[in-house]
Amino acid sequence: MVKFNLPQNSKIEVGKYYKDQTNSKNIKKIHIYRWDPSNNENPRVDTFEVDLDNCGPKVLDILFKIKNEIDPSLTFRRSCAHGVCGSCAMNIDGVNTLACIKSHMDINGDLNIYPLPHLKVVKDLIGDLTTLYKQYESIQPWLKINQTGQEKTELKQSQKDREKLDGYYECILCACCSTSCPSYWWNGDKYLGPAVLLQAYRWINDSRDGEKQERLKKVADELKLYRCHTIMNCTNSCPKGLNPAKAIGSIKKMLATS
Amino acid sequence: MHNKNNPLSPHLQIYRWQISSLLSITHRIVGVINAIIISFICLWVLYLLLGENSYKVLNIFLNSFFGKFLSLAFCWTFSFQILNEIRHLAWDFGLGFDLKISKITGVLVFFGSFVLTIIFYFIGKNFI
Repeated sequence: MVKFNLPQNSKIEVGKYYKDQTNSKNIKKIHIYRWDPSNNENPRVDTFEVDLDNCGPKVLDILFKIKNEIDPSLTFRRSCAHGVCGSCAMNIDGVNTLACIKSHMDINGDLNIYPLPHLKVVKDLIGDLTTLYKQYESIQPWLKINQTGQEKTELKQSQKDREKLDGYYECILCACCSTSCPSYWWNGDKYLGPAVLLQAYRWINDSRDGEKQERLKKVADELKLYRCHTIMNCTNSCPKGLNPAKAIGSIKKMLATS
Repeated sequence: MHNKNNPLSPHLQIYRWQISSLLSITHRIVGVINAIIISFICLWVLYLLLGENSYKVLNIFLNSFFGKFLSLAFCWTFSFQILNEIRHLAWDFGLGFDLKISKITGVLVFFGSFVLTIIFYFIGKNFI
């Protein structure tokens, strides 16, 4: 359902202002979305003044600095800090990306940090990705092949066939693309979204997989696939530089030509 | 953990517009406008058929400032729709998905639609 406005309980209020205590001259204002499940208040946007002279170059460094030095209750997901795990996906300066590889030097003026768009917020910058993971499971992201387990030869893949997976196997499922897609905002319960469709294409395109046709048939659905209108927010936001729009286009082309 | 009272994170309110998303929403809006316009054009053609008196009414209307503005605006909406539709057609063939290329074609569509409108205008002027 298309709903442009936020529901009443999600309207954002002005939050606290944390003034800089270090008397630094190199200050950046960071506006961060906060929501605490333990009380019944609406979400708010807190503003932190951060001393950039003593801060690492990435947005994640800022978040850590705030958590360590200003407000320890700030909540966000992170793990590897090197753009490999996809935990710290969030909306930074209006575009979804990974906080650990996004440099705050590129951003002029104040910095806005929000959770991934159009998700149920668990706390602060953490969104609930349960639906996305369920959809990922629904495309059966594993090799499907008729084998008894008694075979003595390995399942080989030529270099050429392996290259067909380049640009698709690198996906880390950070959900930046899916949550940037307006179609996924309005039809997230039915439309699979760019991340899951890119994964679907990765398995359809795998030369070792035995159920290519079944996979195609399964995904060929007015809502599951064709809600993609090539808005290309997905490709614009992918922090790994992949192209979900192309993957979806390839699936559509396969269906049209098969 | 699932709590119905959990707020929805902001989406349209905070997401930065991209060239691609702007063109996409414009394409939709222009599509609706064009559908309405076609019925208008049918109506105008009907007016022409009805003879001199009704032709005069149409002529006066289209020669007014509003009429001229409307005609030119229609030229633009049709130009934009046609050019962007060509872009979509290329995508359906699996071409032009590259981020850089899609940005270039997007900008081309935008400026091209104005160029095409101007061309339409000049063609119209020459006929007079």
